[in-house]
Amino acid sequence: MASLILPGRRGGLRDKLSRLHWPLIIVLTMLGGAGVITLYSVAEGAWQPWAMRHGLRYLAALALLIVMGLVAMRYWMTLAYPVYFAALAALAATPFIGETVMGAKRWIELGGLQFQPSEAMKIGIVMGLARYYHGLRAEQVSHILYLIPPALMIGAPVGLVFIQPDLGTALLLAATGVIVVFVAGLSWRLGVIGLFGAAAAAYGAYRFELLKPYQVERILTFLNPDRDPLGQGYHLLQSKIALGSGGLDGKGFMQGTQSQLKFLPEMQTDFIFTIFGEEFGFVGAVGLLLLYLSVILMGLSVALSAKSHFARLAVIGVTATFSLYILINTGMVMGLAPVVGVPLPLVSYGGTVMVTIMAGFGLVMSAHIHKDHDVLRSSDLL
Amino acid sequence: MAPVINTHDPERQETVSRRTVLFGGAVGTLFLCISGRLYQLQIADHEKYLDLAQENQFNRRILTPLRGEIIDRFGNVLASNRKNFRILLIPEQARDIEATLNKISDIVPVGDKTRARILREIRRRGAFTPVEIEDNLSWGDFSRVNYELPHLPGVLPDVGETRDYPLGPASAFVIGYVGAITESDLAQQETDADRTLLRQPGFKVGREGLERTYEKELRGQAGRMNVKINAHGRVIEEFADEATPPVQGKTLTLTIDAELQEAAMKELEGESAAAVVMDIVTGDILVLASTPAFNPNDFNVGIDPALWKEFNESPYKPLLNKPLSGVYPPGSTFKIVSAIAAQRAGFKPSETAHCSGKLWYGQRYFHCWKRGGHGTVDMKGAIKHSCDVYFYEIAKQIDVDIIADTARKLGLGEAYELGVSGQKRGVVPDRAWKRQYFAGEPENRSWFQGETLSVIIGQGYVTSTPLQLCVMTARAATGRAVRPRLVRAVGDLVLPAPNAPPIDLDPEHFKIVHEGMNAVTNEWGTAARSRLEDPNWQLAGKTGTSQVYQITAEDRARGLTDPEELPWERRDHALFVCYMPYENPRYACSVVVEHGIGGARMAGPKAREIMRAVAKKDPASRPTVDPSSLAQIRGRNLREG
Repeated sequence: MASLILPGRRGGLRDKLSRLHWPLIIVLTMLGGAGVITLYSVAEGAWQPWAMRHGLRYLAALALLIVMGLVAMRYWMTLAYPVYFAALAALAATPFIGETVMGAKRWIELGGLQFQPSEAMKIGIVMGLARYYHGLRAEQVSHILYLIPPALMIGAPVGLVFIQPDLGTALLLAATGVIVVFVAGLSWRLGVIGLFGAAAAAYGAYRFELLKPYQVERILTFLNPDRDPLGQGYHLLQSKIALGSGGLDGKGFMQGTQSQLKFLPEMQTDFIFTIFGEEFGFVGAVGLLLLYLSVILMGLSVALSAKSHFARLAVIGVTATFSLYILINTGMVMGLAPVVGVPLPLVSYGGTVMVTIMAGFGLVMSAHIHKDHDVLRSSDLL
Repeated sequence: MAPVINTHDPERQETVSRRTVLFGGAVGTLFLCISGRLYQLQIADHEKYLDLAQENQFNRRILTPLRGEIIDRFGNVLASNRKNFRILLIPEQARDIEATLNKISDIVPVGDKTRARILREIRRRGAFTPVEIEDNLSWGDFSRVNYELPHLPGVLPDVGETRDYPLGPASAFVIGYVGAITESDLAQQETDADRTLLRQPGFKVGREGLERTYEKELRGQAGRMNVKINAHGRVIEEFADEATPPVQGKTLTLTIDAELQEAAMKELEGESAAAVVMDIVTGDILVLASTPAFNPNDFNVGIDPALWKEFNESPYKPLLNKPLSGVYPPGSTFKIVSAIAAQRAGFKPSETAHCSGKLWYGQRYFHCWKRGGHGTVDMKGAIKHSCDVYFYEIAKQIDVDIIADTARKLGLGEAYELGVSGQKRGVVPDRAWKRQYFAGEPENRSWFQGETLSVIIGQGYVTSTPLQLCVMTARAATGRAVRPRLVRAVGDLVLPAPNAPPIDLDPEHFKIVHEGMNAVTNEWGTAARSRLEDPNWQLAGKTGTSQVYQITAEDRARGLTDPEELPWERRDHALFVCYMPYENPRYACSVVVEHGIGGARMAGPKAREIMRAVAKKDPASRPTVDPSSLAQIRGRNLREG
């Protein structure tokens, strides 16, 4: 902790602060700001109940990001397995001590705070897998024996989340894990076999009725939106009407008729991209996508420039989760993906996802600040 | 776990870098797909989705017009509209209709029948059209529903308009009433716009009387307003500036005098009776009374089936519009026709006949109403005392076709254009009529002279309505073909009084009728009690008693001679017709009291009292309301309000 009061030293606090990834912070803040604006509009021009809290949460999460970024990468590596297994234990305990919300047990209470183990697992799985591959040589990556631990590391949490049931998060976790394994160097041959295996598993799940009826319903509706015009398909249709009627430059701030007239469900969370697209049009929506893309590219560039294997894989894992969120959410509101209840990161209202995403970028920030560290070299905590 | 040594594995590093770039490329490609989809929705298909959004957003609302008022000749309201507090249900917003209705039942009971109707209407109109749950709520109940509204999803309190008949039963038969829409009403509409209007919750159309006949004029024109609605169908914004306001239906101005109408109804109270008063000069019907009468305000809100059944089964026929639809043998009032017909056939009024109380003709006796007979009477005396035998003597020689022709010229056997349906023509029998009527019975097709004896005293086949009797009196009094009318003006358009050309009969023939009728009331004739004392309003009348049941020889053998001992429905009808003033006739009146036994006793005094009220008011001398000024006054009030 000495570095806290020893300014100027290389690796010291002031030095680290000077190396913060400002472009990343700025773009993330713009995204959070887009969330505030849209939530203000959704509430028909009111700071309550969403916009104000969203802004404050963002600022708190940004502080968390910076603090996490200042912690050296090797401590994160040390914490990788503990974080992963703690999250896994919490997930395993959720069915027994969790609270039932809307028919699913996803939340547990920890010291008065509500907490979603599946969210923690999004960070945990990335850290755990990065830590695992950090210790493998190149030729070991595609060895069948060395594939068993990551298969278990991915399969266990995915299975636990799936039975909650939370299909969206389970898929997200699985995809994130698979991407990390792939980037770590899995051979193409095994990759293709794995994909077929996943497809077979999905079919099996459908076949043996492991999916809840509403999940099957959503997928079928996705495949044919007209089969249920007042249910799921209705929402999707209204979402498309909202986006489509927005046109090139949108209906203007707070002028979205579809949203203001409550034709859309879950406007403050899952369908917020629709509102944004309706009010700011094609220009606004593509602009928002470009902001997201720039965050992803910055993440990937941090990954490429980091020296340690752990840091690179962890950053890619975080970036992958982030990308999946965006692709699934935007694809969902435009009818390109089933409606699975995935929020748009940093714009959708919701504290847990905000913390998860910003904590993930805390790791990215740490990797950026400590990009010269190769982890083995000793370093102060801060 | 031992820290891993091999941090700088170039091969591993290179693989990760390559795969990272690959991953980046994949993400970039997917972002392009998302953008492409955005382009498709927002640029390529923009117009289509814009239309869909507009459809979502805007809805055309029908603005129900106020029904036109019906007023009497002086502007007194006979039918208007009053506020109707009601509760509607928007099925789509009420998650559980049954539960919602149960909750409402705590405030306003919703019966099983109402529930069945609501469910039926929902099925028919769809989930988005409001359906009326209950109407005519008291202010208290209405406020309580409003107070409970947060707990009543889909319930919509509404202030509508409903028909109001301030005179109640007194105007029932003149105006008729309105009723709820039926499938056949919808089928009869010519345009979709009309059908949409009729589908508005609680909309009513004219069911009977003038309300039905003048439906088109009274209904008015629906207005239109675009409204902005949200996904729940709730109105967010009304575009009142661009709306087409509804146009109230036209005001119907009647010839009726509401005050006299009520007076006549009161006079007839307790009897099953009809009264008509006409302005002889204009043909304006001032009074069209029928008792007993239903209250149209009860019918307005939906007829209670028990009440309906009671009305239908009542021997007093409260649903029958007696002045227009009740047919009665005219009895001795028909002697007005007979006296003129006799002169046409060549009989002189001065010729006399001897009445001994009965006359043998054909196979039987024809009785005079007066058992002992009238002795020797001339035509005036025969009218004054209503001697039957005098007319039997004429009937033995007269052709029935002359009587029939005279009757028709005096207005019998005809239905008049009043705008009230169900009018009866009655029967004016002649040879042609009989041939047709008995087409199936060849032996009965020819006319028997004996039948003329019945017809000449207003019995037998001859029947008439109280309105026809009033027209007959008016025509006999003036010698002009007076035609009755009930509607003075439709909207601003004042209808011209119908032409009353001289009747194609010798005016000389009317004199003896006038003298005879004057003698009836003023020279100790059959209705001396019905005389009006005011010399300015000298009343001339004629009594009539029409037989419903002939007391048989068997009855007499059983000791039954007094008609009062007969059951009510077998007693004779009492009739009286009159006009005044004798010298310069202005008003004619007819009264029929069903089973009232004697015209002089039951009908005459009632007619006298009605005419006394008419004389006192002399409505023809008073200025009538000007319909165009009425519209202006109302228009101004509307703008200011």
